[in-house]
Amino acid sequence: MADESLLSEDLLRQLMSVGEADLLVAIPTYNNAGTIAQAIQSIEDSYQQNFVRDRVAILNVDGGSSDQTQQIIANLNGKKDSIRRGITSLRTVHRITTQYGRSPSQGSALKVVFSAADLLRVKACAVVSPATTSLDPAWAANLLRPAYRQDFAFVAPLYSRSKFQGLLARNLLYPMSRAVFGVRIREMYADEWGFSGRLASECGSQPMDEAVRARPEAWMAVNAICNGMKCSQSYLGPRTTVPTGGPDIVETIRQTVGNLFYCCDAFQDHWLDRNGTESVQTFGADHELTPEDAPPRPDKSFELFRNGFQTLQDAVLKSILAKDTLVQLKQIAAMDIDKFDFPSELWVRVLYDFAAAYHRTAISRDHILQALVPLYRGQLFSFLADHAQSTPEEMEANTEALCLEFERQKPYLIERWKAKS
Amino acid sequence: MAPQDDKLWYKDAVIYQLHVRTFCDSDGNGVGDFRGLTNKLDYLQELGINAIWLLPFYPSPLRDDGYDIADYTSVNPTYGTIEDFKTFLNAAHARKLRVITELVVNHTSDQHPWFQEARSSRDNPKRDWYVWSDTDDKYKGVRIIFIDTEMSNWSWDPISKTYYWHRFFSHQPDLNYDNPAVKEAVWEVMKFWLDIGVDGFRLDAVPYLVEREGTSCENLPETHTVIKELRARLDDSYPGKMLLAEANMWPADVRDYFGQGDGDEFHMAFHFPLMPRMFMAVKLEDRKPIIEILEQTPQIPEKCQWCVFLRNHDELTLEMVTDIERDYMYDSFANDKTMRINLGIRRRLAPLLENDRRRIELLNGLLLSMPGTPIIYYGDEIGMGDNVYLGDRNGVRTPMQWNGGWNAGFSSSDPERLYSPLISNPVYGYQSVNVEAQRRTEHSLLSWTKSVIQTRNSFRVFSRGSIDFLSPSNHRVLAYVRQLGEEKVLVVNNLSSSAQAVELNLQSFKGHIPIEMFGRNLFPRIGELPYLLTLAPYQFFWFRLRRI
Repeated sequence: MADESLLSEDLLRQLMSVGEADLLVAIPTYNNAGTIAQAIQSIEDSYQQNFVRDRVAILNVDGGSSDQTQQIIANLNGKKDSIRRGITSLRTVHRITTQYGRSPSQGSALKVVFSAADLLRVKACAVVSPATTSLDPAWAANLLRPAYRQDFAFVAPLYSRSKFQGLLARNLLYPMSRAVFGVRIREMYADEWGFSGRLASECGSQPMDEAVRARPEAWMAVNAICNGMKCSQSYLGPRTTVPTGGPDIVETIRQTVGNLFYCCDAFQDHWLDRNGTESVQTFGADHELTPEDAPPRPDKSFELFRNGFQTLQDAVLKSILAKDTLVQLKQIAAMDIDKFDFPSELWVRVLYDFAAAYHRTAISRDHILQALVPLYRGQLFSFLADHAQSTPEEMEANTEALCLEFERQKPYLIERWKAKS
Repeated sequence: MAPQDDKLWYKDAVIYQLHVRTFCDSDGNGVGDFRGLTNKLDYLQELGINAIWLLPFYPSPLRDDGYDIADYTSVNPTYGTIEDFKTFLNAAHARKLRVITELVVNHTSDQHPWFQEARSSRDNPKRDWYVWSDTDDKYKGVRIIFIDTEMSNWSWDPISKTYYWHRFFSHQPDLNYDNPAVKEAVWEVMKFWLDIGVDGFRLDAVPYLVEREGTSCENLPETHTVIKELRARLDDSYPGKMLLAEANMWPADVRDYFGQGDGDEFHMAFHFPLMPRMFMAVKLEDRKPIIEILEQTPQIPEKCQWCVFLRNHDELTLEMVTDIERDYMYDSFANDKTMRINLGIRRRLAPLLENDRRRIELLNGLLLSMPGTPIIYYGDEIGMGDNVYLGDRNGVRTPMQWNGGWNAGFSSSDPERLYSPLISNPVYGYQSVNVEAQRRTEHSLLSWTKSVIQTRNSFRVFSRGSIDFLSPSNHRVLAYVRQLGEEKVLVVNNLSSSAQAVELNLQSFKGHIPIEMFGRNLFPRIGELPYLLTLAPYQFFWFRLRRI
């Protein structure tokens, strides 16, 4: 059961009015006044066009917006649905709004979603981001359908990406999560995803560690995989967002890689004895890459890599990395920038060493994650140098090769995982 | 209560719809008749209805349940004589029951003498009483109504070797209202029955009276002109008589049939789109379909009134719903395709609701508490079943079930001679569902129906009051306030199959005490806070709001 104590009286009252629902789309907000109206309209259109007979609800969970977000939602709620003699939902499309705190937290928002889903006994849920400006009515439908109609527990999105978008996912999160958990989910870390009511109940009944609160979707995916539930992917198309600056690379790694390492630790019983990987069913087009004119400039990545490595190698990296790994890193850190190359084999070993160190808590886990940042910069610099002119197909081939390298070296991870130090 | 001479009597009526053939057979020939019906008037009076709507009882080849009239001014001999009709009418009036008869004026039977004359030769004086054409190209694109049986609105007449126009079956040629003689003849028919004493007419298929090239041939201004003329003559010569329109259209389109000003066309018109939406709302457990259609319903002149109904002699028509809604209705109420006909469902109320007493009561409660004059279809007050295997819509036109004895008390004839087989299955058969059995028990559907009609009849707010919908956040609850002067009634309906709690914003009635109208129990006074009610599955409340 979900933790109902999280629910305010007002939210409970709203849930009582809805009663039972088949589908729930949640939209966590925090100062999204510019896009929230469009996002809610898109979800409503999705219901009107795709789920006309079903009991549906939209849940807005707000993290204490200080802009006009809440007023805009309130105004939308007061507006009556337009009456159309065309495709339109037979039932009331419910809009539920609640505030879970005074600061944004995706994890806290999701806990509210879990509780609401549990109390409404929903069959399928989706979460969409109000920051996504390309949100299309088809998105919510594509995220909900596999969970609603086909018994999939987790539905990851597939976006059409430009070549140099999502490099952390391409070079780290996807290949490593695929190798460790054995399931080929391309976008496990995403701002839109779908899940079944059953998975919501399962996740709602577990404590959510601080390490996964910023990106709980990946934790949900791993939960589904480790509980023997089926996962799928749905193609959504190109994704554009409101330019916000977003978290810096340190915070991004803390949120995503920290999440991945935590899941490796928390679900070790599942993957330690597991070999190979499985593909998941994909609805719609497969992962798409579009060409991009010029790669992002690596700026000072190489310099930051080298300086960071030199600063950390004795004090921190020594406690994290295996001796051979450290030696190899020293060698590449000494290279000239023109000849610099971060081999895939080494990159995989670095990450496995880090994951094992995180597991052992060799040093503070946060220090471990921060220590990864300069190394990632080095790998990124090398990758961009190698692929500035690559075609999308070549990029994909490279990613696949990297995935296979992660899989090939999985025994190394297990060995390091089980080592005493 | 409205006095008998109240010219707005139709606004306060509860109408009972029946076919003479189906109700009671007095002479043992297997077919109901006027003498049988007259014998049952006490039953109708006891039920509490105050108007009877008779389906066509005229001489007819009966290829469309009497809607194919072969003689407008006499009674089908199977049902009796004109004298029998007069006796019935007088007996009904003596019991304060008004009588509304059916007037099918868009078309006649092809057996009507008018058509026989018209087709006999191209220069016959009655030739122009119908719509003829040498080709079937005229009025291209006009929709065909009976899509299951008709391929065209034109049929070839082998006698006069031309095509004739018909919007319904090919054996029902349309009259030509561009011919003044036709209008005069129809008025003569109306006068005939008005002079005998009928209280009103239900005019069948009114949108189709006039045809014009390049149009849909529906709802044309010329059609409205014809109706206005008839109405003016009616008001001049027979004040207090009523015209009821059958126009299966969207409310905004039907609005025109009430006419201008105080209403110079029909006094009443059916609200067709509301009917399927009441079923849909209960199935969906969501008030949305009802609210949406009533929000689309325009205001009508003060002296006019909508007619609302749950079921009638036709299929549960699904013309006035969207494709999505129609699919849902079919899936929900007519999964077996045998139950479907034309664009509708040929089933009675009780089988549609799976014989669930709670839902039957809820829907009747809605019918009797919403704005409009309610119509109850014969047999639905006892929960009669249907027989979808009888062809056309005959399955909802089986003999009335009076008792569990011989032929359900309907006729003393041999069962084989009955105009239609009785319903005899274990659930709805006359042995278990009949008037006599239900009269004996205080908690029968019949007793309940009497009680609820009596309550409605006791408060004119139901028939003439305004309606204001409340918007509780619980969408499974449909709540509204009816108000007429100081008379206020709060109606709260739980459309769902589970118990519900609902908070009602009754601020404008602060200080009033809700009095439950069936048990006359007092509920807590309305205060500052939202008024909390809990309702059992499909339960409804009617509260008088009184400031005591």
